[in-house]
Amino acid sequence: MVLYAFIKGVFREALAKRILITIFGFFSVLIVLFVFAITNSTVEGLQLMLESGSAGGLKEAVLTFESYIVSGIPMFMLVASMLIITSSFIPDMLKKGHIDLLLSKPISRTKIVIGHFLAGTLLVLVSFTFLLGSIWILVSAKTGYWNVSFLYSILWFTAIFSILYSAVMLIGFLSRSTILTIMINMLLFFPTTFLLYLANTYFQSDQKGIVFGPVAEALLKFFYNILPKAWDLQDVCAQYVTQTPVTNTMPIISSVLFMCVMLSLNIWYFNKKDY
Amino acid sequence: MSVIEINSLTKHFSGKKFSGEKIKALEKVSFNVGNGEIFGLLGPNGAGKTTLVKILLGITFATEGTAKLFDKPVTNVSVKKKVGYLPENHRFPNYLTGEQVIDYFGKLSGLKKSDLDKTTYKYLKMVGMDEWGTTKIKKYSKGMMQRLGLAQAMISNPDLIFLDEPTDGVDPIGRKEIRDVLLDLKSQGKTIFLNSHLLSEIELICDKVAILNKGELVKVGSVEDITSTGNKYIFTTGDLPEEIMNKVLSEYKGTLHGKNEFECTINTLEEVNVIVDYLRSQKILIHGFSKEKNSLESMFINLIEQKN
Ligand SMILES: Nc1ncnc2c1ncn2[C@@H]1O[C@H](COP(=O)(O)OP(=O)(O)OP(=O)(O)O)[C@@H](O)[C@H]1O
Ligand SMILES: [Mg+2]
Repeated sequence: MVLYAFIKGVFREALAKRILITIFGFFSVLIVLFVFAITNSTVEGLQLMLESGSAGGLKEAVLTFESYIVSGIPMFMLVASMLIITSSFIPDMLKKGHIDLLLSKPISRTKIVIGHFLAGTLLVLVSFTFLLGSIWILVSAKTGYWNVSFLYSILWFTAIFSILYSAVMLIGFLSRSTILTIMINMLLFFPTTFLLYLANTYFQSDQKGIVFGPVAEALLKFFYNILPKAWDLQDVCAQYVTQTPVTNTMPIISSVLFMCVMLSLNIWYFNKKDY
Repeated sequence: MSVIEINSLTKHFSGKKFSGEKIKALEKVSFNVGNGEIFGLLGPNGAGKTTLVKILLGITFATEGTAKLFDKPVTNVSVKKKVGYLPENHRFPNYLTGEQVIDYFGKLSGLKKSDLDKTTYKYLKMVGMDEWGTTKIKKYSKGMMQRLGLAQAMISNPDLIFLDEPTDGVDPIGRKEIRDVLLDLKSQGKTIFLNSHLLSEIELICDKVAILNKGELVKVGSVEDITSTGNKYIFTTGDLPEEIMNKVLSEYKGTLHGKNEFECTINTLEEVNVIVDYLRSQKILIHGFSKEKNSLESMFINLIEQKN
Protein backbone atom coordinates (compact mmCIF):
# COMPACT_ATOMS: atom_id res chain seq x y z
CA MET A 1 0.00 0.00 0.00
CA VAL A 2 2.65 2.47 1.10
CA LEU A 3 4.98 1.11 -1.58
CA TYR A 4 2.25 1.62 -4.17
CA ALA A 5 1.74 5.21 -3.05
CA PHE A 6 5.47 5.77 -3.33
CA ILE A 7 5.66 4.37 -6.87
CA LYS A 8 2.68 6.48 -7.84
CA GLY A 9 4.50 9.49 -6.40
CA VAL A 10 7.51 8.84 -8.63
CA PHE A 11 5.21 8.57 -11.63
CA ARG A 12 3.46 11.76 -10.73
CA GLU A 13 6.85 13.44 -10.52
CA ALA A 14 7.66 12.18 -14.02
CA LEU A 15 4.35 13.56 -15.24
CA ALA A 16 4.72 16.89 -13.51
CA LYS A 17 8.25 17.41 -14.77
CA ARG A 18 6.93 16.64 -18.24
CA ILE A 19 9.25 13.66 -18.45
CA LEU A 20 6.52 11.30 -19.64
CA ILE A 21 5.18 13.73 -22.19
CA THR A 22 8.70 14.37 -23.50
CA ILE A 23 9.33 10.67 -23.91
CA PHE A 24 6.05 10.10 -25.66
CA GLY A 25 6.50 13.15 -27.86
CA PHE A 26 9.97 12.06 -28.84
CA PHE A 27 8.85 8.50 -29.51
CA SER A 28 5.93 9.75 -31.60
CA VAL A 29 8.37 11.68 -33.77
CA LEU A 30 10.46 8.53 -34.15
CA ILE A 31 7.38 6.57 -35.15
CA VAL A 32 6.39 9.14 -37.75
CA LEU A 33 9.91 9.10 -39.18
CA PHE A 34 9.67 5.36 -39.25
CA VAL A 35 6.43 5.49 -41.22
CA PHE A 36 8.19 7.63 -43.82
CA ALA A 37 11.12 5.28 -43.88
CA ILE A 38 9.13 2.17 -44.59
CA THR A 39 7.01 3.79 -47.29
CA ASN A 40 10.14 5.21 -48.83
CA SER A 41 12.90 3.85 -50.95
CA THR A 42 15.31 3.34 -48.08
CA VAL A 43 13.98 -0.14 -47.67
CA GLU A 44 13.51 -0.75 -51.33
CA GLY A 45 15.26 -4.07 -51.08
CA LEU A 46 12.83 -5.15 -48.46
CA GLN A 47 9.90 -3.99 -50.50
CA LEU A 48 11.12 -5.76 -53.60
CA MET A 49 11.52 -8.92 -51.62
CA LEU A 50 8.05 -8.53 -50.22
CA GLU A 51 6.44 -8.01 -53.56
CA SER A 52 8.20 -10.82 -55.35
CA GLY A 53 8.94 -13.36 -52.73
CA SER A 54 7.26 -16.49 -51.56
CA ALA A 55 5.89 -16.77 -48.03
CA GLY A 56 9.27 -17.99 -46.75
CA GLY A 57 11.02 -15.07 -48.37
CA LEU A 58 8.62 -12.62 -46.83
CA LYS A 59 9.11 -14.02 -43.37
CA GLU A 60 12.84 -13.97 -43.82
CA ALA A 61 12.79 -10.36 -44.93
CA VAL A 62 10.64 -9.20 -42.03
CA LEU A 63 12.78 -11.03 -39.49
CA THR A 64 15.98 -9.59 -40.89
CA PHE A 65 14.51 -6.12 -40.87
CA GLU A 66 13.24 -6.45 -37.32
CA SER A 67 16.51 -7.85 -36.06
CA TYR A 68 18.27 -4.80 -37.49
CA ILE A 69 15.97 -2.62 -35.43
CA VAL A 70 16.66 -4.35 -32.14
CA SER A 71 20.39 -4.91 -32.51
CA GLY A 72 21.33 -1.49 -33.81
CA ILE A 73 22.97 1.40 -32.03
CA PRO A 74 19.79 3.58 -32.16
CA MET A 75 17.98 1.29 -29.74
CA PHE A 76 20.89 1.42 -27.32
CA MET A 77 20.86 5.17 -27.56
CA LEU A 78 17.20 5.15 -26.64
CA VAL A 79 17.96 3.06 -23.56
CA ALA A 80 20.75 5.49 -22.73
CA SER A 81 18.42 8.46 -23.05
CA MET A 82 15.93 6.80 -20.73
CA LEU A 83 18.78 6.39 -18.27
CA ILE A 84 19.67 10.07 -18.57
CA ILE A 85 16.07 11.04 -17.94
CA THR A 86 15.80 8.84 -14.85
CA SER A 87 19.20 9.97 -13.54
CA SER A 88 17.53 12.81 -11.68
CA PHE A 89 15.18 10.61 -9.66
CA ILE A 90 17.52 9.61 -6.85
CA PRO A 91 19.36 12.95 -6.46
CA ASP A 92 16.00 14.78 -6.40
CA MET A 93 14.68 12.48 -3.71
CA LEU A 94 17.80 13.05 -1.60
CA LYS A 95 17.36 16.83 -1.50
CA LYS A 96 17.30 18.28 1.98
CA GLY A 97 13.83 18.96 3.29
CA HIS A 98 12.33 16.16 1.20
CA ILE A 99 14.36 13.14 2.24
CA ASP A 100 13.88 13.98 5.95
CA LEU A 101 10.15 13.92 5.56
CA LEU A 102 10.17 10.78 3.45
CA LEU A 103 12.29 8.90 5.96
CA SER A 104 10.00 9.94 8.81
CA LYS A 105 7.17 7.99 7.18
CA PRO A 106 6.49 4.34 7.96
CA ILE A 107 8.23 3.09 4.85
CA SER A 108 11.53 1.27 5.14
CA ARG A 109 14.58 2.46 3.30
CA THR A 110 14.78 -0.88 1.52
CA LYS A 111 11.27 -0.34 0.16
CA ILE A 112 12.18 3.13 -1.01
CA VAL A 113 15.05 1.70 -3.06
CA ILE A 114 12.89 -1.06 -4.48
CA GLY A 115 10.07 1.39 -5.13
CA HIS A 116 12.36 3.64 -7.12
CA PHE A 117 13.70 0.71 -9.07
CA LEU A 118 10.22 -0.56 -9.89
CA ALA A 119 8.94 2.90 -10.77
CA GLY A 120 11.81 3.50 -13.21
CA THR A 121 11.35 0.08 -14.76
CA LEU A 122 7.61 0.58 -15.11
CA LEU A 123 8.07 3.98 -16.69
CA VAL A 124 10.38 2.51 -19.30
CA LEU A 125 8.16 -0.51 -19.85
CA VAL A 126 5.26 1.78 -20.69
CA SER A 127 7.40 3.92 -22.99
CA PHE A 128 8.94 1.00 -24.87
CA THR A 129 5.57 -0.70 -25.21
CA PHE A 130 4.38 2.42 -26.98
CA LEU A 131 7.43 2.72 -29.24
CA LEU A 132 8.17 -0.89 -30.11
CA GLY A 133 4.49 -1.82 -30.15
CA SER A 134 3.80 0.88 -32.72
CA ILE A 135 6.76 -0.17 -34.82
CA TRP A 136 5.60 -3.75 -34.71
CA ILE A 137 2.10 -2.83 -35.84
CA LEU A 138 3.48 -0.66 -38.64
CA VAL A 139 5.88 -3.27 -39.97
CA SER A 140 3.34 -6.05 -39.66
CA ALA A 141 0.55 -4.10 -41.29
CA LYS A 142 2.84 -3.04 -44.10
CA THR A 143 4.15 -6.52 -44.80
CA GLY A 144 1.24 -8.65 -43.68
CA TYR A 145 3.54 -10.87 -41.63
CA TRP A 146 2.81 -10.62 -37.91
CA ASN A 147 5.93 -11.72 -36.08
CA VAL A 148 4.72 -11.91 -32.48
CA SER A 149 8.26 -12.66 -31.26
CA PHE A 150 9.19 -9.08 -31.98
CA LEU A 151 7.17 -8.07 -28.93
CA TYR A 152 9.75 -9.84 -26.75
CA SER A 153 12.00 -6.92 -27.53
CA ILE A 154 9.84 -4.72 -25.27
CA LEU A 155 10.71 -6.91 -22.32
CA TRP A 156 14.34 -7.24 -23.36
CA PHE A 157 14.92 -3.55 -23.62
CA THR A 158 13.12 -2.89 -20.39
CA ALA A 159 15.37 -5.50 -18.80
CA ILE A 160 18.49 -3.91 -20.31
CA PHE A 161 17.32 -0.61 -18.91
CA SER A 162 16.72 -2.07 -15.42
CA ILE A 163 20.12 -3.70 -15.32
CA LEU A 164 21.87 -0.45 -16.16
CA TYR A 165 19.45 1.58 -14.00
CA SER A 166 20.52 -0.35 -10.90
CA ALA A 167 24.02 1.08 -11.45
CA VAL A 168 22.70 4.57 -12.29
CA MET A 169 20.79 4.54 -9.00
CA LEU A 170 23.91 3.69 -7.06
CA ILE A 171 25.83 6.52 -8.70
CA GLY A 172 22.89 8.79 -7.81
CA PHE A 173 23.02 7.73 -4.16
CA LEU A 174 26.77 8.23 -3.98
CA SER A 175 27.05 11.51 -5.87
CA ARG A 176 23.68 13.04 -4.89
CA SER A 177 23.92 15.09 -8.08
CA THR A 178 22.05 14.63 -11.34
CA ILE A 179 24.76 16.18 -13.48
CA LEU A 180 27.49 14.04 -11.94
CA THR A 181 25.37 10.94 -12.35
CA ILE A 182 24.85 11.65 -16.04
CA MET A 183 28.51 12.50 -16.61
CA ILE A 184 29.80 9.39 -14.90
CA ASN A 185 27.44 7.26 -16.93
CA MET A 186 28.05 8.88 -20.30
CA LEU A 187 31.79 9.28 -19.98
CA LEU A 188 32.73 6.26 -17.96
CA PHE A 189 30.18 3.55 -17.49
CA PHE A 190 28.60 3.15 -20.95
CA PRO A 191 31.81 3.63 -22.96
CA THR A 192 33.59 1.11 -20.75
CA THR A 193 30.95 -1.53 -21.29
CA PHE A 194 31.00 -0.84 -25.02
CA LEU A 195 34.79 -1.11 -25.29
CA LEU A 196 34.75 -4.28 -23.26
CA TYR A 197 32.12 -5.68 -25.58
CA LEU A 198 34.30 -4.86 -28.57
CA ALA A 199 37.34 -6.36 -26.87
CA ASN A 200 35.47 -9.53 -26.11
CA THR A 201 34.21 -9.84 -29.68
CA TYR A 202 37.77 -9.31 -30.81
CA PHE A 203 39.13 -12.03 -28.53
CA GLN A 204 36.57 -14.46 -29.83
CA SER A 205 37.43 -13.82 -33.46
CA ASP A 206 40.45 -15.37 -35.21
CA GLN A 207 42.11 -12.16 -36.26
CA LYS A 208 45.05 -11.23 -34.15
CA GLY A 209 45.90 -7.83 -35.57
CA ILE A 210 46.71 -6.24 -32.26
CA VAL A 211 48.34 -8.35 -29.60
CA PHE A 212 47.41 -7.76 -25.99
CA GLY A 213 49.70 -8.95 -23.25
CA PRO A 214 48.30 -11.84 -21.22
CA VAL A 215 47.76 -9.60 -18.20
CA ALA A 216 45.87 -6.98 -20.20
CA GLU A 217 43.77 -9.63 -21.84
CA ALA A 218 42.93 -11.24 -18.51
CA LEU A 219 42.01 -7.87 -17.03
CA LEU A 220 39.78 -6.96 -19.95
CA LYS A 221 38.09 -10.32 -19.74
CA PHE A 222 37.63 -9.96 -16.01
CA PHE A 223 35.92 -6.59 -16.31
CA TYR A 224 33.92 -7.77 -19.27
CA ASN A 225 32.64 -10.64 -17.18
CA ILE A 226 31.62 -8.68 -14.11
CA LEU A 227 30.07 -5.66 -15.85
CA PRO A 228 26.62 -5.76 -17.44
CA LYS A 229 26.53 -6.69 -21.11
CA ALA A 230 23.96 -4.47 -22.72
CA TRP A 231 25.39 -5.03 -26.19
CA ASP A 232 25.43 -8.79 -25.92
CA LEU A 233 21.90 -8.65 -24.58
CA GLN A 234 20.87 -6.76 -27.68
CA ASP A 235 22.33 -9.59 -29.77
CA VAL A 236 20.43 -12.13 -27.69
CA CYS A 237 17.29 -10.04 -28.14
CA ALA A 238 17.77 -10.19 -31.90
CA GLN A 239 17.96 -13.95 -31.67
CA TYR A 240 14.67 -14.01 -29.79
CA VAL A 241 13.01 -11.73 -32.29
CA THR A 242 14.14 -13.80 -35.25
CA GLN A 243 13.13 -16.99 -33.50
CA THR A 244 16.62 -18.48 -33.66
CA PRO A 245 17.93 -20.51 -30.74
CA VAL A 246 19.85 -18.45 -28.20
CA THR A 247 23.49 -19.43 -28.40
CA ASN A 248 24.97 -17.82 -25.33
CA THR A 249 23.18 -17.37 -22.03
CA MET A 250 26.25 -16.15 -20.12
CA PRO A 251 25.53 -12.44 -20.79
CA ILE A 252 22.02 -12.86 -19.40
CA ILE A 253 23.13 -14.60 -16.23
CA SER A 254 26.04 -12.29 -15.50
CA SER A 255 24.01 -9.15 -16.19
CA VAL A 256 21.22 -10.24 -13.88
CA LEU A 257 23.82 -11.05 -11.25
CA PHE A 258 25.28 -7.60 -11.72
CA MET A 259 21.85 -6.08 -11.22
CA CYS A 260 21.29 -8.06 -8.02
CA VAL A 261 24.64 -6.96 -6.66
CA MET A 262 23.93 -3.32 -7.56
CA LEU A 263 20.49 -3.40 -5.95
CA SER A 264 21.95 -4.91 -2.79
CA LEU A 265 24.61 -2.22 -2.71
CA ASN A 266 21.94 0.46 -3.14
CA ILE A 267 19.95 -0.97 -0.26
CA TRP A 268 22.99 -1.42 1.95
CA TYR A 269 24.33 2.07 1.33
CA PHE A 270 21.00 3.84 1.72
CA ASN A 271 20.23 1.95 4.91
CA LYS A 272 23.35 3.09 6.72
CA LYS A 273 23.51 6.69 5.54
CA ASP A 274 22.64 9.76 7.65
CA TYR A 275 20.41 12.41 6.08
CA MET B 1 4.52 6.18 30.59
CA SER B 2 7.28 7.88 28.65
CA VAL B 3 6.59 8.40 24.98
CA ILE B 4 10.20 9.34 24.26
CA GLU B 5 13.13 7.83 26.12
CA ILE B 6 16.63 9.00 25.36
CA ASN B 7 19.64 7.47 27.01
CA SER B 8 23.13 8.95 26.74
CA LEU B 9 22.57 9.71 23.11
CA THR B 10 25.73 10.75 21.29
CA LYS B 11 26.21 11.82 17.71
CA HIS B 12 29.50 12.72 16.10
CA PHE B 13 29.68 13.87 12.52
CA SER B 14 32.91 13.73 10.62
CA GLY B 15 34.15 17.28 10.20
CA LYS B 16 36.21 18.70 7.38
CA LYS B 17 37.42 16.14 4.90
CA PHE B 18 40.69 14.41 5.84
CA SER B 19 41.10 16.47 9.02
CA GLY B 20 39.92 13.60 11.18
CA GLU B 21 38.12 16.19 13.27
CA LYS B 22 34.76 15.29 14.77
CA ILE B 23 31.76 17.55 15.12
CA LYS B 24 30.10 16.68 18.39
CA ALA B 25 26.46 17.34 17.57
CA LEU B 26 25.20 15.51 20.66
CA GLU B 27 27.11 14.41 23.76
CA LYS B 28 25.51 11.88 26.15
CA VAL B 29 22.06 13.42 26.19
CA SER B 30 19.42 11.71 28.32
CA PHE B 31 15.83 12.68 29.11
CA ASN B 32 12.28 11.41 28.85
CA VAL B 33 9.11 12.94 27.52
CA GLY B 34 5.86 11.85 29.10
CA ASN B 35 2.56 11.15 27.44
CA GLY B 36 0.47 14.23 26.68
CA GLU B 37 3.24 16.74 27.30
CA ILE B 38 4.23 19.67 25.18
CA PHE B 39 7.99 19.44 25.32
CA GLY B 40 10.21 22.27 24.15
CA LEU B 41 13.80 21.77 23.10
CA LEU B 42 15.79 24.99 23.18
CA GLY B 43 19.29 25.89 22.24
CA PRO B 44 21.36 28.26 20.15
CA ASN B 45 22.04 27.62 16.47
CA GLY B 46 24.00 24.46 15.97
CA ALA B 47 23.20 23.11 19.43
CA GLY B 48 22.03 19.79 18.02
CA LYS B 49 18.24 20.17 18.23
CA THR B 50 17.51 19.10 14.69
CA THR B 51 20.03 16.30 14.95
CA LEU B 52 18.25 14.97 18.02
CA VAL B 53 14.88 14.96 16.30
CA LYS B 54 16.34 13.31 13.23
CA ILE B 55 17.77 10.52 15.34
CA LEU B 56 14.40 10.00 16.99
CA LEU B 57 12.84 9.64 13.55
CA GLY B 58 15.47 7.30 12.14
CA ILE B 59 16.69 9.85 9.59
CA THR B 60 20.14 10.02 11.15
CA PHE B 61 21.75 7.29 13.22
CA ALA B 62 23.18 7.77 16.70
CA THR B 63 26.87 7.14 17.26
CA GLU B 64 26.15 5.84 20.75
CA GLY B 65 23.30 5.55 23.20
CA THR B 66 19.72 4.51 22.74
CA ALA B 67 16.50 6.23 21.83
CA LYS B 68 13.01 4.80 22.09
CA LEU B 69 9.59 5.94 20.94
CA PHE B 70 6.60 4.24 22.54
CA ASP B 71 8.98 1.77 24.14
CA LYS B 72 10.30 0.60 20.79
CA PRO B 73 13.73 1.36 19.34
CA VAL B 74 13.64 4.20 16.80
CA THR B 75 14.89 1.88 14.09
CA ASN B 76 11.50 0.17 14.14
CA VAL B 77 9.72 1.50 11.05
CA SER B 78 6.18 0.70 12.18
CA VAL B 79 6.48 3.06 15.15
CA LYS B 80 6.42 5.93 12.68
CA LYS B 81 2.74 5.30 11.94
CA LYS B 82 2.08 7.03 15.25
CA VAL B 83 4.40 9.95 14.56
CA GLY B 84 4.01 13.20 12.63
CA TYR B 85 6.89 15.44 11.62
CA LEU B 86 7.38 18.96 10.36
CA PRO B 87 11.03 19.26 9.29
CA GLU B 88 12.86 22.57 9.33
CA ASN B 89 13.17 24.01 5.81
CA HIS B 90 10.90 21.38 4.40
CA ARG B 91 10.64 21.31 0.66
CA PHE B 92 7.57 19.65 -0.79
CA PRO B 93 7.55 18.77 -4.48
CA ASN B 94 6.45 22.14 -5.85
CA TYR B 95 4.40 20.82 -8.74
CA LEU B 96 1.80 19.57 -6.27
CA THR B 97 -1.17 21.50 -4.91
CA GLY B 98 -1.65 21.81 -1.15
CA GLU B 99 -4.27 19.12 -1.26
CA GLN B 100 -1.99 16.77 -3.20
CA VAL B 101 0.84 17.29 -0.72
CA ILE B 102 -1.44 16.17 2.11
CA ASP B 103 -2.69 13.31 -0.02
CA TYR B 104 0.78 12.07 -0.97
CA PHE B 105 2.31 12.21 2.49
CA GLY B 106 -0.89 10.90 4.04
CA LYS B 107 -0.70 7.84 1.84
CA LEU B 108 2.95 7.37 2.72
CA SER B 109 1.82 7.39 6.35
CA GLY B 110 -0.40 4.46 5.50
CA LEU B 111 -3.74 6.27 5.17
CA LYS B 112 -6.37 5.09 2.73
CA LYS B 113 -7.98 7.28 0.13
CA SER B 114 -11.33 7.14 1.92
CA ASP B 115 -9.76 8.41 5.17
CA LEU B 116 -8.00 11.19 3.34
CA ASP B 117 -11.14 12.35 1.55
CA LYS B 118 -12.69 12.93 4.93
CA THR B 119 -9.78 14.55 6.75
CA THR B 120 -7.69 16.51 4.24
CA TYR B 121 -9.83 19.62 4.39
CA LYS B 122 -10.43 19.30 8.10
CA TYR B 123 -6.72 19.77 8.72
CA LEU B 124 -6.26 22.38 6.02
CA LYS B 125 -9.04 24.36 7.68
CA MET B 126 -7.40 23.95 11.07
CA VAL B 127 -4.31 25.75 9.81
CA GLY B 128 -6.32 28.27 7.82
CA MET B 129 -5.37 26.93 4.41
CA ASP B 130 -8.63 25.43 3.19
CA GLU B 131 -9.03 28.05 0.50
CA TRP B 132 -5.62 27.26 -0.89
CA GLY B 133 -6.04 23.50 -1.24
CA THR B 134 -6.22 23.48 -5.01
CA THR B 135 -3.44 26.01 -5.62
CA LYS B 136 0.01 24.80 -6.62
CA ILE B 137 2.36 25.22 -3.68
CA LYS B 138 4.97 27.05 -5.72
CA LYS B 139 2.58 29.99 -5.35
CA TYR B 140 2.59 29.78 -1.55
CA SER B 141 4.31 32.24 0.75
CA LYS B 142 6.73 31.06 3.43
CA GLY B 143 4.17 31.17 6.22
CA MET B 144 1.66 29.34 4.09
CA MET B 145 4.17 26.58 3.44
CA GLN B 146 4.71 26.34 7.16
CA ARG B 147 0.99 26.02 7.83
CA LEU B 148 0.69 23.37 5.15
CA GLY B 149 3.62 21.57 6.74
CA LEU B 150 1.82 21.58 10.05
CA ALA B 151 -1.33 20.14 8.46
CA GLN B 152 0.86 17.50 6.86
CA ALA B 153 2.33 16.59 10.25
CA MET B 154 -1.12 16.11 11.74
CA ILE B 155 -2.78 14.27 8.87
CA SER B 156 -2.36 10.72 10.13
CA ASN B 157 -3.74 11.71 13.53
CA PRO B 158 -0.43 10.79 15.21
CA ASP B 159 0.02 10.41 18.95
CA LEU B 160 3.38 12.15 18.84
CA ILE B 161 4.25 15.17 16.73
CA PHE B 162 7.71 16.61 16.13
CA LEU B 163 7.78 20.22 15.03
CA ASP B 164 11.09 21.81 14.07
CA GLU B 165 10.61 25.59 14.22
CA PRO B 166 6.91 25.45 13.37
CA THR B 167 6.37 29.20 13.60
CA ASP B 168 9.34 30.10 11.43
CA GLY B 169 8.15 32.72 8.94
CA VAL B 170 4.62 32.85 10.30
CA ASP B 171 3.04 36.19 11.17
CA PRO B 172 1.98 36.97 14.79
CA ILE B 173 -1.64 36.09 14.19
CA GLY B 174 -0.61 32.88 12.51
CA ARG B 175 1.66 32.12 15.45
CA LYS B 176 -1.22 32.52 17.82
CA GLU B 177 -3.31 30.26 15.61
CA ILE B 178 -0.59 27.64 15.58
CA ARG B 179 -0.30 27.84 19.37
CA ASP B 180 -4.03 27.26 19.61
CA VAL B 181 -3.78 24.27 17.31
CA LEU B 182 -1.02 22.85 19.49
CA LEU B 183 -3.01 23.39 22.67
CA ASP B 184 -5.97 21.73 21.00
CA LEU B 185 -3.79 18.75 20.13
CA LYS B 186 -2.61 18.59 23.72
CA SER B 187 -6.19 18.57 24.93
CA GLN B 188 -6.69 15.50 22.74
CA GLY B 189 -3.89 13.81 24.67
CA LYS B 190 -1.21 14.09 21.98
CA THR B 191 2.42 14.54 22.82
CA ILE B 192 4.19 17.41 21.10
CA PHE B 193 7.93 17.85 20.74
CA LEU B 194 8.84 21.38 19.77
CA ASN B 195 12.16 22.82 18.60
CA SER B 196 12.25 26.55 18.77
CA HIS B 197 14.26 29.70 19.35
CA LEU B 198 11.18 31.69 20.24
CA LEU B 199 11.45 31.46 24.00
CA SER B 200 8.43 33.57 24.78
CA GLU B 201 6.41 31.18 22.72
CA ILE B 202 7.82 28.12 24.39
CA GLU B 203 7.09 29.70 27.73
CA LEU B 204 3.48 30.15 26.74
CA ILE B 205 2.69 26.59 25.83
CA CYS B 206 5.33 24.12 26.95
CA ASP B 207 4.97 21.96 30.04
CA LYS B 208 8.57 20.93 30.05
CA VAL B 209 11.71 22.20 28.41
CA ALA B 210 15.24 21.02 27.84
CA ILE B 211 18.11 23.31 27.01
CA LEU B 212 20.84 22.09 24.75
CA ASN B 213 24.15 23.83 24.20
CA LYS B 214 26.90 22.56 21.91
CA GLY B 215 25.39 19.11 22.03
CA GLU B 216 25.20 18.92 25.80
CA LEU B 217 22.06 18.95 27.87
CA VAL B 218 22.31 21.97 30.14
CA LYS B 219 19.00 21.78 31.88
CA VAL B 220 15.75 19.92 31.79
CA GLY B 221 12.60 20.51 33.79
CA SER B 222 9.22 22.18 33.87
CA VAL B 223 9.02 25.79 32.70
CA GLU B 224 8.09 26.71 36.28
CA ASP B 225 11.21 25.12 37.74
CA ILE B 226 13.52 26.63 35.21
CA THR B 227 12.22 30.17 35.39
CA SER B 228 11.64 30.53 39.12
CA THR B 229 14.76 31.96 40.74
CA GLY B 230 14.98 30.40 44.16
CA ASN B 231 12.56 32.17 46.48
CA LYS B 232 12.72 35.81 45.67
CA TYR B 233 9.65 37.87 46.55
CA ILE B 234 8.89 41.39 45.50
CA PHE B 235 6.70 43.59 47.66
CA THR B 236 5.11 46.80 46.46
CA THR B 237 3.77 49.01 49.17
CA GLY B 238 2.73 52.50 50.08
CA ASP B 239 5.50 54.95 51.06
CA LEU B 240 7.92 53.32 53.50
CA PRO B 241 9.23 55.43 56.41
CA GLU B 242 12.99 55.39 57.15
CA GLU B 243 12.79 53.12 60.19
CA ILE B 244 10.81 50.49 58.37
CA MET B 245 13.25 50.60 55.48
CA ASN B 246 16.07 49.97 57.94
CA LYS B 247 14.28 47.08 59.53
CA VAL B 248 13.62 45.55 56.10
CA LEU B 249 17.31 45.89 55.27
CA SER B 250 18.66 44.52 58.54
CA GLU B 251 16.13 41.98 59.69
CA TYR B 252 14.71 40.59 56.47
CA LYS B 253 17.86 40.96 54.36
CA GLY B 254 15.91 42.78 51.70
CA THR B 255 17.00 44.97 48.82
CA LEU B 256 15.20 48.24 48.30
CA HIS B 257 14.02 49.43 44.92
CA GLY B 258 13.08 52.95 45.96
CA LYS B 259 10.46 54.00 48.48
CA ASN B 260 7.67 51.70 47.37
CA GLU B 261 9.31 48.43 46.51
CA PHE B 262 11.73 45.92 47.98
CA GLU B 263 12.68 42.34 47.40
CA CYS B 264 13.55 39.62 49.86
CA THR B 265 14.93 36.14 49.59
CA ILE B 266 12.72 33.98 51.69
CA ASN B 267 12.78 30.29 52.41
CA THR B 268 9.28 29.49 53.68
CA LEU B 269 5.81 30.82 53.14
CA GLU B 270 5.64 31.41 56.88
CA GLU B 271 8.38 34.03 56.56
CA VAL B 272 6.46 35.81 53.82
CA ASN B 273 3.55 36.09 56.18
CA VAL B 274 5.74 37.36 58.97
CA ILE B 275 6.77 40.25 56.74
CA VAL B 276 3.16 40.90 55.81
CA ASP B 277 2.19 40.92 59.50
CA TYR B 278 4.98 43.33 60.31
CA LEU B 279 4.06 45.73 57.49
CA ARG B 280 0.40 45.64 58.42
CA SER B 281 1.18 46.22 62.09
CA GLN B 282 2.98 49.39 61.00
CA LYS B 283 -0.09 50.37 58.96
CA ILE B 284 1.81 50.10 55.71
CA LEU B 285 -0.47 49.59 52.73
CA ILE B 286 0.53 46.53 50.75
CA HIS B 287 -0.16 46.99 47.06
CA GLY B 288 0.94 43.52 46.19
CA PHE B 289 3.64 40.94 46.46
CA SER B 290 4.76 38.22 44.07
CA LYS B 291 7.26 35.49 43.65
CA GLU B 292 9.78 36.72 41.16
CA LYS B 293 10.20 34.82 37.93
CA ASN B 294 12.94 35.08 35.39
CA SER B 295 11.73 35.12 31.86
CA LEU B 296 12.82 32.00 30.05
CA GLU B 297 14.78 34.26 27.80
CA SER B 298 16.97 35.88 30.45
CA MET B 299 17.42 32.52 32.07
CA PHE B 300 18.45 31.00 28.75
CA ILE B 301 20.88 33.77 27.95
CA ASN B 302 22.46 33.52 31.41
CA LEU B 303 22.87 29.79 31.17
CA ILE B 304 24.38 29.81 27.72
CA GLU B 305 26.75 32.66 28.63
CA GLN B 306 27.90 30.82 31.73
CA LYS B 307 28.66 27.73 29.66
CA ASN B 308 30.65 29.63 27.10
N1 LIG C 1 24.98 16.06 8.06
C1 LIG C 1 25.86 16.71 8.84
N2 LIG C 1 27.18 16.57 8.65
C2 LIG C 1 28.06 17.20 9.44
N3 LIG C 1 27.73 17.99 10.47
C3 LIG C 1 26.42 18.17 10.72
C4 LIG C 1 25.42 17.55 9.92
N4 LIG C 1 24.20 17.90 10.41
C5 LIG C 1 24.44 18.71 11.45
N5 LIG C 1 25.77 18.87 11.63
C6 LIG C 1 26.41 19.67 12.70
O1 LIG C 1 25.84 19.28 13.93
C7 LIG C 1 25.64 20.41 14.76
C8 LIG C 1 24.19 20.48 15.20
O2 LIG C 1 23.37 20.80 14.10
P1 LIG C 1 21.79 20.91 14.21
O3 LIG C 1 21.26 21.10 12.85
O4 LIG C 1 21.29 19.75 14.97
O5 LIG C 1 21.61 22.24 15.05
P2 LIG C 1 20.27 22.97 15.52
O6 LIG C 1 20.29 22.99 16.99
O7 LIG C 1 19.10 22.37 14.87
O8 LIG C 1 20.51 24.43 14.97
P3 LIG C 1 19.46 25.51 14.39
O9 LIG C 1 18.87 26.20 15.55
O10 LIG C 1 20.31 26.44 13.60
O11 LIG C 1 18.45 24.79 13.56
C9 LIG C 1 26.11 21.61 13.98
O12 LIG C 1 27.41 21.91 14.40
C10 LIG C 1 26.14 21.14 12.55
O13 LIG C 1 27.16 21.77 11.85
MG1 LIG D 1 17.63 23.06 13.61
